[in-house]
Amino acid sequence: MSDADDVIDRELTMSRAMVESIAHEMRENEEVFYMGEDVADYGGIFDSTQGLLEEFGRDRIMDVPISETAYLGAAVGAAQEGMRPIAELMFVDFFGVAMDQIYNQLAKNTYMSGGNVNVPLVLTAAVGGTYNDAAQHSQTLYGTFAHIPGLKIVVPSTAYDAKGLMHNAIRDDDPVMYLFHKRLMGIGWMPAPDGPKTPVPETDYTIPFGSADVKREGADVTIVTLGLHVHRALAAAESLAEDGIDAEVVDLRTLVPLDTETIVESVRKTGRLVVVDEDYRSFGVTGEIIASVADRDLDALDAVDRVAVPDVPIPYARPMENEVIPDATDIEASVREVTSGE
Amino acid sequence: MTDRTRATDGGSGMRVAVRAAGDWEDDVDETEGIVVDWFAREGRSVQAGDTVCEIQVEKVSVDIHAPVAGTLDEIVVDEDDAFEIGDTLGWLRSE
Repeated sequence: MSDADDVIDRELTMSRAMVESIAHEMRENEEVFYMGEDVADYGGIFDSTQGLLEEFGRDRIMDVPISETAYLGAAVGAAQEGMRPIAELMFVDFFGVAMDQIYNQLAKNTYMSGGNVNVPLVLTAAVGGTYNDAAQHSQTLYGTFAHIPGLKIVVPSTAYDAKGLMHNAIRDDDPVMYLFHKRLMGIGWMPAPDGPKTPVPETDYTIPFGSADVKREGADVTIVTLGLHVHRALAAAESLAEDGIDAEVVDLRTLVPLDTETIVESVRKTGRLVVVDEDYRSFGVTGEIIASVADRDLDALDAVDRVAVPDVPIPYARPMENEVIPDATDIEASVREVTSGE
Repeated sequence: MTDRTRATDGGSGMRVAVRAAGDWEDDVDETEGIVVDWFAREGRSVQAGDTVCEIQVEKVSVDIHAPVAGTLDEIVVDEDDAFEIGDTLGWLRSE
């Protein structure tokens, strides 16, 4: 990434980087197509398919009726028959109506068929809050999907990562859930923080799954996070640096497979672990990461904490939503707590 | 800000304005817009026709393309700032 900064002049938003990789794969392989609600004429309500209809037409960029169970079932079938569908669940919160298609068909059909069928489907979905859309349109639900065997889970935090991970997702022969955070897409009515817009090569490239990225090196504490909270953790790290606390920020990039190696290596260096997640606190990413480190090297952990959404529905009202979704100040406070021991 | 869209200052190349203008102007009633994103930083090179920035007018996004190849010399209207339709958003220095 750092050597790329010198030579790449153009920068892209995360949505444009995703679209560029999808368009590339569609040109290379006629089996790749995109289906979802408002993905054709509208270009995706979070710009996930902006401009694709003009190039590829309605046979390959398909608007579907509002029945997630019908079109996700159709996408699973198309994948099993040899096509490479990308199906978009407009908000991840809507997974409930298609839970059998996702949990029992998509995730398990390769296993249930004794390996006779592959399901090379990319299921994209918008995740996350911070814009007052209330409890049924603001969840991330990372843990809900990482929990079930059979799904790979991708959560990009920058345009560079989004493009490379999308290339890898479409070329993967197994089901991949690609969860993009609305706040990172770079859309006009929901300004992104500084950070997700990065230099992006025009050529195709892949980022392998299960490779976490150290977004900031530091010696005193390891902050493990993903998605929007990579940028909030980096902001917290900048502020902590002013007080001489040197935080390392590890961006998971994929939850399944999980790069435990990079996390443990970082914790062995710093001795302190703070896990930050925009999903609910209980039975989720934070507990899993901490348990994985404890399993591998309990002695490496001098202090540990987690920062996540408390176990409540995401409120609609702005001050209340801001209260429950972790911000840079919450991350800072947690880091100060775990580093105050000496 | 000058009304001229091209100016020379004796250096290499010519300064060419990137303006908030295009065919879409006929379709809007609003006279103001905001800059959503710049896709190059000052000093970086762009090709003619590249999308250099995205603006939003009446909640509709519009891509603004580089009129010539060159380097982005100056960003006049920053991200999230407002402009009047027809304004100069930035300056390119042609190759």
